[in-house]
Amino acid sequence: MEIALCFVVAALFAVTVYLILSKHIIRMLLGVVLLGNSVNLLIFTNGRIQSIVPPIIPEGLEVPGEMIANPLPQALILTAIVISFSFFAFLLVLSYRAFQDLDTDDTDEMRIAEPEDEGLPPLGY
Amino acid sequence: MDQLNGFVSDFGYVALILPFLAAAVAPLLTSVLKSHSTWLLALAPAAAFVIFLRGIFEIAKGTVHRWGFEWIPSFDIAFSFRLDGLSMVFALLITGIGTFIILYSGGYMKGHKDQGQFYSFMLMFMGSMLGLVVADDLITLFVFWELTSITSFLLIGFDHTREKARRGAVQALVITGGGGLALLAGLIAIRELHGLTSLSDILEAGDALRESPYYLAVLILVLCGAFTKSAQMPFHIWLPNAMEAPTPVSAYLHSATMVKAGVYLLLRMHPALGETTLWMTILPIFGAITLVVGALLAVRASDIKITLAYTTVASLGLLVMLIGVSSETAIIAATLYLIAHSLFKGGLFMVAGSVDHGAHTREIHRLGGLARHMPITFVAALLCALSMGGITPFVGFLAKEEIYHALEYGDFYHVALLIAAIAGNALMFAAAFIVALQPFVGTKPQHIDHPHESGLRVWLGPLVLGALSLVGALYYGVYHELFSSPMATASYGEAVEIEIGWVPHLNLAFALSCLTIVLGVIIYLASTQIRQKLAQFLAAIGWGPDYGFDQAMRGLVRLAFGVTLIVQPGRLDYYMTTVMIALVAALFGSMWWADGFPSVPELPDLLPYEWIILGLIVFGILAVVVSRNRLQAIVSLGIQGYAVAFIFMLQGAPDLAFTQFMVETLSVVILALVMTRLKLSPSDHRPLAQKLPDATIGVLAGIGFGLFLLAVVQSDFDRSLSDFFERYSYAIAHGRNIVNVILVDFRGIDTMGEIAVVMTAGLAVLALIRIRVGRRGIRTNDPMEVTP
Amino acid sequence: MTQGAVPLIDYSVILPVAICFIFGAGLLMMRKSIRWHPLIALPGLVLLFLADLTLLYRVATQGTVTMMMGGWLPPFGIAFTADLMGALFLAASGFAALCCGIYAVASISKVERRYGFFPLFFIMMGGVSGSFITGDVFNLYVWFEVFLIGSFGLLILGSRHEQLDGATKYCFLNLVGTTFFLIATGYLYGIFGTLNMADIAQKAAETDKTAMLFTLAALYFVSFAMKAAAFPLNFWLPASYHTPRFVVSALFAGLLTKVGIYAAIRINLMLFPPERAELSAVFAWVAALTMLVGGLGALAQTDLRRLLNYVVIAGIGTMFVALAMPVPDGDAVPSSLSVGLSGTIFYALHSIVVMTALYLAAGVAAHLTGTSSLREMGGLWRSNPLFAAVMLILLFAVSGLPPFSGFWPKVALVRASISGDLPWLAAMVLVSGFLLTIASARVFALGFWRPLPPIAAADRKVEPGGVVEEKFLAAGPDRALSAIPLFALTAFVIAAGVWPQWLFDLTDGAAAGIVDPSGYISSVFGDAP
Repeated sequence: MEIALCFVVAALFAVTVYLILSKHIIRMLLGVVLLGNSVNLLIFTNGRIQSIVPPIIPEGLEVPGEMIANPLPQALILTAIVISFSFFAFLLVLSYRAFQDLDTDDTDEMRIAEPEDEGLPPLGY
Repeated sequence: MDQLNGFVSDFGYVALILPFLAAAVAPLLTSVLKSHSTWLLALAPAAAFVIFLRGIFEIAKGTVHRWGFEWIPSFDIAFSFRLDGLSMVFALLITGIGTFIILYSGGYMKGHKDQGQFYSFMLMFMGSMLGLVVADDLITLFVFWELTSITSFLLIGFDHTREKARRGAVQALVITGGGGLALLAGLIAIRELHGLTSLSDILEAGDALRESPYYLAVLILVLCGAFTKSAQMPFHIWLPNAMEAPTPVSAYLHSATMVKAGVYLLLRMHPALGETTLWMTILPIFGAITLVVGALLAVRASDIKITLAYTTVASLGLLVMLIGVSSETAIIAATLYLIAHSLFKGGLFMVAGSVDHGAHTREIHRLGGLARHMPITFVAALLCALSMGGITPFVGFLAKEEIYHALEYGDFYHVALLIAAIAGNALMFAAAFIVALQPFVGTKPQHIDHPHESGLRVWLGPLVLGALSLVGALYYGVYHELFSSPMATASYGEAVEIEIGWVPHLNLAFALSCLTIVLGVIIYLASTQIRQKLAQFLAAIGWGPDYGFDQAMRGLVRLAFGVTLIVQPGRLDYYMTTVMIALVAALFGSMWWADGFPSVPELPDLLPYEWIILGLIVFGILAVVVSRNRLQAIVSLGIQGYAVAFIFMLQGAPDLAFTQFMVETLSVVILALVMTRLKLSPSDHRPLAQKLPDATIGVLAGIGFGLFLLAVVQSDFDRSLSDFFERYSYAIAHGRNIVNVILVDFRGIDTMGEIAVVMTAGLAVLALIRIRVGRRGIRTNDPMEVTP
Repeated sequence: MTQGAVPLIDYSVILPVAICFIFGAGLLMMRKSIRWHPLIALPGLVLLFLADLTLLYRVATQGTVTMMMGGWLPPFGIAFTADLMGALFLAASGFAALCCGIYAVASISKVERRYGFFPLFFIMMGGVSGSFITGDVFNLYVWFEVFLIGSFGLLILGSRHEQLDGATKYCFLNLVGTTFFLIATGYLYGIFGTLNMADIAQKAAETDKTAMLFTLAALYFVSFAMKAAAFPLNFWLPASYHTPRFVVSALFAGLLTKVGIYAAIRINLMLFPPERAELSAVFAWVAALTMLVGGLGALAQTDLRRLLNYVVIAGIGTMFVALAMPVPDGDAVPSSLSVGLSGTIFYALHSIVVMTALYLAAGVAAHLTGTSSLREMGGLWRSNPLFAAVMLILLFAVSGLPPFSGFWPKVALVRASISGDLPWLAAMVLVSGFLLTIASARVFALGFWRPLPPIAAADRKVEPGGVVEEKFLAAGPDRALSAIPLFALTAFVIAAGVWPQWLFDLTDGAAAGIVDPSGYISSVFGDAP
């Protein structure tokens, strides 16, 4: 399964990067959603998949009775999921506001902070 | 640090700090006393002068005073000083002339609204210059070196409302500052590669530097510093432009002191770096060219201050040339000329300022007949000019005789330099009298209204300096014993006795002196014609290094602008592409470099439903890429998200799966909302020419991450952290769901940060939505806000 | 398997983060009474700075101190480990934050205050402070995200068009950069099975997975280079730093990029020394090009703040020089690596202070002249000589001229480069300093010496009638709210320039602790791990 997941992670990242390289914010946002998934799956795979038993200690036992799935990556991913979702939400609203105020979702046309027609700086003293 | 006894060492710190103290109180004092504050302020350099003078007998006997303390022990840098014959003369010139300059400033700047500031800058410069010439530690030396650049920047730009003054200041800073950085590199190289941390170390190290494999690099770096500071061709341009500063600045910084810093450095380094073929080639070439061209430009100039500036350039060239010749006589000549030059040139500059003040012009053809109205200035001017012209009995004569002595050999090297020296000296002779004689003789032009002396403080300086030029030569025994011999000894590295007196002896040098004077007189008489011819000639060339400086600066700015346009074009797409290329390069580059590619894996052995789920993910993401309408894209996104959740579910991560479901659903729903509202199409607008590289980068990034992941999972795994969590999750933390225990206990801080992120994101989103900028400024759609 | 009771004094480690969150959350809850915000925020920032200083004092006198969160034994719980380098960065950041906080009182509009300027400020500081003291890699990622989201909030606060534009670029690029960090950390876990830095430092020294470590180090480097805005990953900085309020730019310029430098030193240098050495040629090129691009960029700008953006970048390049030093060969004491690293840390502290001060001063200049363009600015030397003098000192300091704080770290880095057999890199440090000197002189001549150009003078008389918000909000240079921060920051610049030894004592110690992390490790695991 680990090996199969490696391939899936590769595919996910390929598409993610391709989407993020777009000039259109909406496609970049799709890329951001995928980015979160790619990273989560990557961390998950890095924690190895040695068991499919959920990491829960059964009633009556002090320690798990059998080999369980690695709990630490799961915890890390849970943290990361929530964080990346917050970022996604922020970026979405930002894009929305940028589209409203700047009238474009093409990043090539967002040239207010770094205007295209700025001339040379003063050459005198 | 060996602390030697003696009056000078005891009071050395006092002498060094006095100018800075005076600088600190100058603005306040001046606001109370107006220009009369200079009487008090001049006491600071005067006191320092006296302190140094008290040590002169000891120094003349060859004693070297060293004092200081550890400044930055980490780097073995000391705030240390060294007073020997060379630095003594410089210190006396700086404080002595400085005293008169401060007084002169008081007379010259009287009534100027920023005069307090001016005195303060002058005194700051004085302190820096004094520190420079007595510094022993190399870094201490450099700190003072740069301080003189900074203070001179402020002084040249003092009259900051004129663009020319600003340009002069920037130019001086750029040239001397740039040279300073080269010097820093050289000094640090000396420190690091040879372990010599101070001038004393260098002087004691003998041939160490000359024989070092780094000699060439060190020499060039040091020369860059010295040549820029001492205005050698083609770096000389800043000096005439520095004449934009008020005349006291020109008189002090740009003739007597700062420009000599480079010469000081060369004299100082001569025993350690000099007397090599390289030294004896580079220095005379630069020096001779600077001498001749500078002297010609001096005669060409019609503004007497500019004339003086170019003669200073020429004199600096002469000094560099002599130091480059490296023989004992040449060094003697250099020291004699240096002292003489400081006296007469400082005096002449002050005269020029006095004339400017009295007659309100500095144009030579608009001046004349001032002798009757400004008699004291005239006398001072003549004294200085006679010394500059090398006429006996003035110190300038001693210097010139010695110069010709140093060059009176028959080989090509010396003859070439001799011709340069004669030509330069003759031109400078003419320039001296153009400045000191022409304005005072003849008839007074109509437009000069009420020419007048400008008061004691203005004429005192040039008069005293001129008189000293005379006295020094008359009492040449004392002069040599106390000043020039110790200075030459320190510069040459071996004991030197100077004997030359004011009484001429009939020899080759004297003949050459006479020849120089004759030539000088001819040039003087023909000066108007020569000026015109030179002006025509220069106009025919049309280009000069000064213009070249502007071209270089404009070119630099243009280049910078062009480069910045390329590296920062303002397009997110470009930025992101570069980032991803860097990522791909890092992944593949490192794996290739370290041979970290994974071994070929076996085909995964999966159950059918697992294949289906993995297939779903791939299907989903591909569908996102190719989808042409909103619904399709969103549904595809959802499919892959849910499939990922399923994987978590099946691989023993139910919590994860649940969260993934939630988040994915939310993401899809909001995305759908936003997309519908904005009527944005998710389809790809990229042309194929862009799709292909983007896709290549994407695929490479994917493969890179995949390969690295494969390599990692193929290696063995240390599961100790999770084992610990399993063992103690219930036993100590009392939780059965280990993931939850990790989140809230083992790694609770992460969760706290996570919550902070969620909250802050909410806050930021609120601000984004609520604050809007309209044509009439900010408005908010906040019910709490009362908008006008 | 927990530790015994934590000594009370050890809580000083967590105090800076705790203060930030307490005040951040508190201010958030007081959204309705924004009038009180400054009155609460400023004492909070003073407290934060004091806590930072306390921690620095403790670390400087007693060595690295570790606190395990929840009392779990290392490496199982999250360790907060304050070593000298972290404590120094922390103290400098607290100083800069306090100065910005004072300045902000008069330069933030009511609306921006209502929508959470001070809470965002504290959250960001919490993230920055956490980054400097955490001893856990994943936790470091969380702090990165905390200060990143805080910076997003501060960046868009005001919603001016250029802000939205700049923020779009800033946010996407930084999100990607931080995600690289997370990805690398995922691999890190896969390789070592642990996240504690001290643990990793030990295991990395023994592991045979060197090829993987190399790729890992490269990945980390990409993410930190991006965070630090090193060429060619510096785009986000000049694209956005000039768009928010000046005080926000000042805070960003002082702190954010330095977190990247900090992380690069901490992880690339402390955890993976052999891989760092292998990558040193790359570091050298990155450092050199970053210095060059920064210097040239500064020369190419018309807008004062955009010019400063590039000055930040030039400084970043300078700080990367230490990472390019060769492996210490043992007999040279101190090695070029420790000298360079000490210089880099010194430079980082200098840069935190001086860049903050420069942006704040630029804000005052823009406020006084009504413009931030060098075409229209002018006359400040005449009208406000003291303020102009402060600006001049700051400009010279950032150009690396003595006797100001920027000079000594450059001396250290040039020394290290020459003794480390990289003379060309030493030359680049000086060339970049030269370019900045030219840029500084131009700024001063055009913006301060030159009389106010007639067009701008006419413009200034036009009242911003009807417009609720003034573009360059700030207190005048004669008001305490601007004067105190500017003078305090400049005082440091002069103090560290005239008497640098006290700072070198600290940075030498900090560098030694990174080059040989045994003190760090034993602080986490006790003397016998």
